[in-house]
Amino acid sequence: MKKWSFLLVIVALALLQLTWPVFLIFFNCKPDFLLILIIALVFYLDFKVALAFTVLAGLIKDVFLVEPLALNTILFSIWSYSAYLLSRQISTENYYVRAAVVIIVALLNNIIIGLVIINFGTIIPAGIFLRNVFISSSYTAVLSVFIFKLVKKIAA
Amino acid sequence: MFKISRKTLIGFIIFSCTLLLISNTLSCLKKSAQNVLAPQLSFLDLLKREFSGIIFYHRNMIQAEKLNAGVGALRWQMLDLKELNQENIRLKELLNFKQKSSLFLVPARVIARSPDVWSCSVVIDKGKNSRIKIGMAVINLQGLVGRVVECTENSSKVLLINDPSQGISAVVQRSRQEGLVNGTLGTNLIMRYLPEDAQITEGDIIITSELSQFYPKGLLIGKVINIGGDFSGLNRFAQIKPAAGLSSIEEVLVVIP
Repeated sequence: MKKWSFLLVIVALALLQLTWPVFLIFFNCKPDFLLILIIALVFYLDFKVALAFTVLAGLIKDVFLVEPLALNTILFSIWSYSAYLLSRQISTENYYVRAAVVIIVALLNNIIIGLVIINFGTIIPAGIFLRNVFISSSYTAVLSVFIFKLVKKIAA
Repeated sequence: MFKISRKTLIGFIIFSCTLLLISNTLSCLKKSAQNVLAPQLSFLDLLKREFSGIIFYHRNMIQAEKLNAGVGALRWQMLDLKELNQENIRLKELLNFKQKSSLFLVPARVIARSPDVWSCSVVIDKGKNSRIKIGMAVINLQGLVGRVVECTENSSKVLLINDPSQGISAVVQRSRQEGLVNGTLGTNLIMRYLPEDAQITEGDIIITSELSQFYPKGLLIGKVINIGGDFSGLNRFAQIKPAAGLSSIEEVLVVIP
């Protein structure tokens, strides 16, 4: 039952991300709740279950994007597996460590997506590229504490 | 540091193949997911607006007072303009002036925005049931907003003009200088491929050209705020401030040709 409630959490966070209020958007950047969620799921759930939810979260995000590729589904799965491998090597009990993992994953995720878009021939000014990479990733990491607490509460 | 066993590797390859298969069926998933989530998004949007109304009550009250003060003067101006408009219509009729095309507009409300920072799109609450089709131009009272790129029965996805994948054929209203307007993901747009001797200055109005594939001719895009030169030195570019406030649009009008 607890596992299935994560389905609701994914849908709720996706809806929140889609309707994130304009007055909470800083420098045209908003947090990526689904990315935080997939990292949190790896730390609190069995990996296979977490991976299944990760694919679903990626698909939901891709559905609302304009690009025809399921890029987020693929990247989310990679980040989920990487976080799983990392959690077996180092202790990830501390919130700061988890926030650090989130910021690294968010940075890599944004850099890869940005580079893929540029590779398709789209011109993005360097300043806007850097703004999206750093501010959006930092914003995501700052809000990760709340998602981790939510996931911990549901998984407990 | 990380040891990956053969079993894990095979599992990973199978998983990757499954993901690629999922990628191919994404377009089918998109339509059904948008259809399912559209009512919830509308409801959330309603809640968000109500909460914003409560949070910004004081600001809204002051704004309302200011706007009310200006309404009286504008009402008189409107009456004058109405007179002029009617006179214009009568004169056009006298000259057997046939209007080329009248735009049929469908109003829609923005119910969701792009979930990431790498694209600029919005979801609106009108779709095929309201005669909306892919490729139709979307405007608001200020100017051009974007075009419809995906369409379901009750919702549509609109790619905004500040998305970098957008390319709009445009002209300078004053000098008829042509150029290509692109989005930058930021608040401003950029007009590229302007020759060295282009007749363009700061403050010029930019409108859609008749060469545009998706947009009707003459829609207001924005105003030139800065002019610069390319790295190559062969072309110039112009920075354009869009007429429509793209970061906070709530209502739009879909142009049905």
